[in-house]
Amino acid sequence: MPIFPSIDFKRATLGAALLIAALIPQVASATLGEPEITVQGDVAQAHAAIKSSQDRSNYRVHEIQLPSGTVMREFVAPNGNVFAVAWQGPTRPDLRQALGQYFDAFAAAPRSKFSDRRHVQIQQGDLIVQSGGHMRALRGRAYLQSAIPSGVNLGDLH
Amino acid sequence: MVSMRALKVGLCAVLCLSAISCGGGGGTAGGGGGGGGTPPPTNNTASVIIDAGPSMQSVNTLFTSVTVCVPGSTTNCQTIDHIQVDTGSYGLRLLASVVTLTLPVETLANGNSLAECTEFVDGFSWGPVVTADIQIAGETAHAVPVQAIGDSRFTNIPAECSGTGGTEEDSVSTFGANGILGIGPFELDCGDCDTATHGLYFACATSCTDTTVPANMQVPNPVTHFAADNNGTIIVLPSVAAGGASNVMGSLIFGIDTQTDNASGTQTVLTVDDNAELLMMFNGQSLASSFIDSGSNGIYFADSSIVTCTAPPSDPTSQIVNFYCPASTLTLPITIQGMNGTMTNNLTFAVGNAITMLDNTDFDAYPQLAGTLPAGNVGTFDYGLPFFYGRRVAVAVQGATTTVGTGPYIAF
Repeated sequence: MPIFPSIDFKRATLGAALLIAALIPQVASATLGEPEITVQGDVAQAHAAIKSSQDRSNYRVHEIQLPSGTVMREFVAPNGNVFAVAWQGPTRPDLRQALGQYFDAFAAAPRSKFSDRRHVQIQQGDLIVQSGGHMRALRGRAYLQSAIPSGVNLGDLH
Repeated sequence: MVSMRALKVGLCAVLCLSAISCGGGGGTAGGGGGGGGTPPPTNNTASVIIDAGPSMQSVNTLFTSVTVCVPGSTTNCQTIDHIQVDTGSYGLRLLASVVTLTLPVETLANGNSLAECTEFVDGFSWGPVVTADIQIAGETAHAVPVQAIGDSRFTNIPAECSGTGGTEEDSVSTFGANGILGIGPFELDCGDCDTATHGLYFACATSCTDTTVPANMQVPNPVTHFAADNNGTIIVLPSVAAGGASNVMGSLIFGIDTQTDNASGTQTVLTVDDNAELLMMFNGQSLASSFIDSGSNGIYFADSSIVTCTAPPSDPTSQIVNFYCPASTLTLPITIQGMNGTMTNNLTFAVGNAITMLDNTDFDAYPQLAGTLPAGNVGTFDYGLPFFYGRRVAVAVQGATTTVGTGPYIAF
């Protein structure tokens, strides 16, 4: 007896999940400075999940739950380009993917004389990378100065 | 100025290293001194020092010496100086370039070698996990997993590791130390790497792939593996003059309430959360992701009302601009609250002019060195090594029961 309602329930849940997935208009490309495109495949490949997509007044935010436990947020400008990414969790996301053509500038940035493995504040051309925290709790963000939509408060990008 | 500093560092290298070596045990046989009658208690106190370090430019960086031996050997041993003492990480990591011993690499059940990508905020360190017997002061731990950073046998860094970005910190010069002793309030450097992959541990055959690892093969806070005095640490440092000082020395005591020299008293006990963080209230803000950390070299917080430093014309891209440079020293109130609700009373800290302080390159301990928090790190106050000056700061590991509480906690 109880088995049928259970199956129905599972079917209904699956159906709802598929419906929700179809309704999410776009999933952000994980790459800074490039267009927001549908990359369900990328997300699947990373075994990640979109937690939410939210429209704010001057931009859209996609929040992505990575299997590592880290949450990544991608900020998309009205022109459709990703202008910032932010992360928080036990490890960093794949920043080679997330920063795209800007990754090498981050990796090659000269290390601060005052570095202590706890702080990063890098400016390389248009790219800004800011990160802090400690082992098991890393937080940071990267953005393109020239791509910040007007009216965006930098303090909201985290 | 530069040559003065170099001279000073050179002198220090001779004087302090021998001093640390003595305090750090240096010998190879374990335990106390021996002799007749009742055995003396285990020597649970290592010397620590704040100096310019191997990079000759460290500031507010605490070092000690650690002796490692090939597992099971009492003669095949090596004492390594200038290991950074870090309450903000977990595990002993050594720069392979300074290790003269051949330490065995851990092997997974499938025969693959185990390697680790340690992520720091500003970069990563890559290398195999080896095992070593560890001795610090009179404390010993057998066959402890230790990371060998920059090991020449493991040069193919996986893309998942290098892709986390930042500086590759695999040499003494990029790491700024000969190793790091992570003695934060948890046992392991990963919360759940036994069941989940995080891009931290890798199984290496011809190439390396992300892997889960049994907990007993992960790199632990070695204190938790000591035969005795293994429930935490106490760092004792003297007060430091406002303008700074050189070669400040103190003690790293192992154990809490296990011997007469590490007994708890009437200190403030603040428990910390799963991230080893607690609440700091500053400037009208409640900052819930704050931490006290010997591995941070200053006091880092956001306060737009304090003027930051200006880069000198000779070095226009200097990161000095991320430090505070008030015209006169500021004394600011702060309240720290543990997860247990206990709060500090009447606590203040001072912010000096970073350029004025750092101009005196003969110094390497600066109690009033403060900087801006990287923007976007909302809710954080990072109270680094200056917190430890003039204090006796205990860090109790998770699950440790002392006379004043249960870890994880920080007490002072």
